[in-house]
Amino acid sequence: MNPAMWISKTGVQAQDAKLQAIANNLANANTVGFKKDRVVFEDLFYSVEQQPGTQRADNNTLTPTGVQLGNGTQLVGTQKVFTDGTTQITGNKYDVAVIGNGFLQVRRPNGEPGFTRAGQLGVDQNGVLVNAQGLPLVPQITIPTNATNITIAENGVVSVNVPGNVAPTQVGQLTLTSFINPTGLLALGDNLFQETQSSGAPTEGNPGDAQFGKLKQGALEGSNVQVVEEMVDMIAAQRTYEMNTKVLTAADNMLQYLSQAAR
Amino acid sequence: MDALIYTAMSGAERALRGQQVHANNLANMDTPGFRANLELATATKLPGYGYDDRHMTQLQANAVTTRQGTLKATGRELDVSISGNGFFAVQGPTGEAYTRAGAITLDADGTMTVNGMPILGEGGNPITLPPYRKIDIGQDGTISILGQGTTAEMQIIDKLKLVKAEASELTKNESGLLVARDGQPLQVDNTVQVRAGHLEGSNVSAIEEMVATMSLNRTFEIQMKLFKASDDMTTAGNRLVSA
Repeated sequence: MNPAMWISKTGVQAQDAKLQAIANNLANANTVGFKKDRVVFEDLFYSVEQQPGTQRADNNTLTPTGVQLGNGTQLVGTQKVFTDGTTQITGNKYDVAVIGNGFLQVRRPNGEPGFTRAGQLGVDQNGVLVNAQGLPLVPQITIPTNATNITIAENGVVSVNVPGNVAPTQVGQLTLTSFINPTGLLALGDNLFQETQSSGAPTEGNPGDAQFGKLKQGALEGSNVQVVEEMVDMIAAQRTYEMNTKVLTAADNMLQYLSQAAR
Repeated sequence: MDALIYTAMSGAERALRGQQVHANNLANMDTPGFRANLELATATKLPGYGYDDRHMTQLQANAVTTRQGTLKATGRELDVSISGNGFFAVQGPTGEAYTRAGAITLDADGTMTVNGMPILGEGGNPITLPPYRKIDIGQDGTISILGQGTTAEMQIIDKLKLVKAEASELTKNESGLLVARDGQPLQVDNTVQVRAGHLEGSNVSAIEEMVATMSLNRTFEIQMKLFKASDDMTTAGNRLVSA
């Protein structure tokens, strides 16, 4: 069969995968702490049919170029793009945005750590500081039931005001976790990421120190999806898909001519 | 058997395989840094009885175009693209290879990689980054980071190895990376300029590829007509003999 058909098939498939990623990005254009996905393509291996420099039989010259035929494209993976999202000021005292590098750490129901950039915090019935899914933050911080106000400083110190005490009481310290290769983290959904072998080991530290970013109370980090960019990507993906199917038709036509000519 | 049918066959074969090259280019229209492959035909002389009566066509396809691809602003600090002529050097499976793909990622040790292959620094060695807060890749490929501690000063880590080569000096290897035709590593060129936060797309021209596809399609059709004509002629000859 005409190999061009199979090559075009890889192109069509690749664009199909890309469209899926675009759809997911657009669906999450308003998800707090969402990092957009980018699909990465690579050309497939080449089949060398004739090495350059081969002796040519006819007049003892060497071929200046050989024949190498590509086999199409492949999806090598999706990359999370960790650029900063837009910061939205909400004024809610339980909202925290991470400005710069670092993740908040939570304890998942199975006891494993999860990492998130979404700082919509809250307290559970015991006063424990939890994220939007109700998972407790690590290190655990308990807010006293009689607290009247809560302050989260840039360096992660959490302090509360209690009646009868003028000075605020420090109740804990929020820490941030950084990875050398955040792109290598496994996205678990629910705005959570998990450590993998390629992300490197987590490093924990206080906000504002070393490579860690700062915390901002009363703000949230929006999604870093740029809607216009996604729409342009979508148009490009659709047209590329179309052109690959055109080659498929052309390859099919060639086979048709052949079957008509040979009787 | 009449020789015409074999000449037509070589033309049809070339069109069929040439189509593969264009299908591959179009399939890679979205591959960052992909360089379009060229496909051309050469004539091979076949000596006949006393004179050269036939020229068979032969497909040649291992050259690339080095035209600039479209730049896309991504805003990601580790995305770099080259303006004008030039290439990044990577450690391929079989030695130093070159690419225009500049979506750099870090592995678990902080080594800078492109599509899983370590990208080389000026000294010809892979570059490993310490934990950092900010990274900046300058126009000349200098990598500086704002690292640990409280200093607000950027610290230079290394410089990307950037090389320059003409399209004629390069060919693709089996894994799709560009290598020098003579097998020697290319020299560092200080005039190559990079731009961080941008990614270069593939340099495949959709129009060229579509037109080539259509034209090859028709070429193939013509060969098939000749195929048929040659068949008819033989049939007519057979009739003459049997009559």
